[in-house]
Amino acid sequence: MNTNRFMILFVLAAGLMLGSTPVRAHHSTAEFDMTTFNAVKGTVTQFEWSNPHAYIHIEAKDDKGNVVEWTAELASLGMLARINWKRDTVKPGDDITIYGNPAKNGKTLMRLDKITFANGQELSARVG
Amino acid sequence: MLRNRWIPSIFAGAALLFIMPFIFGQAANPTKSASVPDLAGVWLIDHFQPALFPKGTSAPFTPWGEAEFKKADTKVNDPNLACLPHGIVRLMFVPLPMEVFQVPDKVLIYQEAGNQLRQIHMNRGHNKDLDPTYNGDSVGRWEGDTLVVDTIGFNDLTWLDHVGLPHTGALHVVERIHRPDHDTLVDDFTIEDPKAYTKPWTASQTYRLKPGWEIAEYVCDNNKYVYHEK
Repeated sequence: MNTNRFMILFVLAAGLMLGSTPVRAHHSTAEFDMTTFNAVKGTVTQFEWSNPHAYIHIEAKDDKGNVVEWTAELASLGMLARINWKRDTVKPGDDITIYGNPAKNGKTLMRLDKITFANGQELSARVG
Repeated sequence: MLRNRWIPSIFAGAALLFIMPFIFGQAANPTKSASVPDLAGVWLIDHFQPALFPKGTSAPFTPWGEAEFKKADTKVNDPNLACLPHGIVRLMFVPLPMEVFQVPDKVLIYQEAGNQLRQIHMNRGHNKDLDPTYNGDSVGRWEGDTLVVDTIGFNDLTWLDHVGLPHTGALHVVERIHRPDHDTLVDDFTIEDPKAYTKPWTASQTYRLKPGWEIAEYVCDNNKYVYHEK
């Protein structure tokens, strides 16, 4: 099994994401559990470069080997461009890990904080 | 003879007097008088305030206002979900940059959010019998270094903040916009709507200057908020 596609899910200390509310997207963060921080490793299937939010879709695998689709929500394109994201920053087939706050409703959706590439390179998605 | 020799000089002096205002007008900014504060630039909020009444505080709701607020659900009925305009007040609290322009008779605020251009009319009072709109009718005047903006004529389709503060068409917003230092802009709001609130209340937003930033295109082409409910 390709370990890069093996889903890792861990929860960091609740305080990690607290502090000043970061500048963010066009709606509130109420749908996301801002006290929980997840990391999910998977392979990019689609990068939607669109407003009001960009989205990264990845396929991950749970601990039983089942494929799980995760969606990461990013800021708007203008704000992403200001932190050096481009429409091809991630491409289908890229192995990445997405980090962020999961949706409160239990969906495999997160508010993206950063990604890491297979070579370890890290890229922040924080716009504030 | 002597009189004729002076005539060209007199004409030249008169001509100079005539064009001097234009010369100095060009040297300064031709779009505004020297006495008007300069608010121009790209600005971004310094901190995001999703709720104008954070947990532990409560708005002075009327019974109607409180009932409406209880119905608000950011996942379900946020008017902005469909990418409709935020409306004033909420537009000024959006975490996206805005560019302020000062042109004759208007202050314009170009918001990246939806690429909306907000007009503040400096040369008139409110129009009569206003058609209700998302951003209402804004008229401004200078009080010293403060731009005072009075807005009425709203529709009732928006929230005042990102978590659901309601309002009606009776909403009246007064903003006092000032620039305490070169890099800082402050907008102090007084908000009244006797149908939704028992008394006027205040809110404030601080913005930071963003040199070199340009407003980006923002077409709401992917209202994929549905991912939240999928």
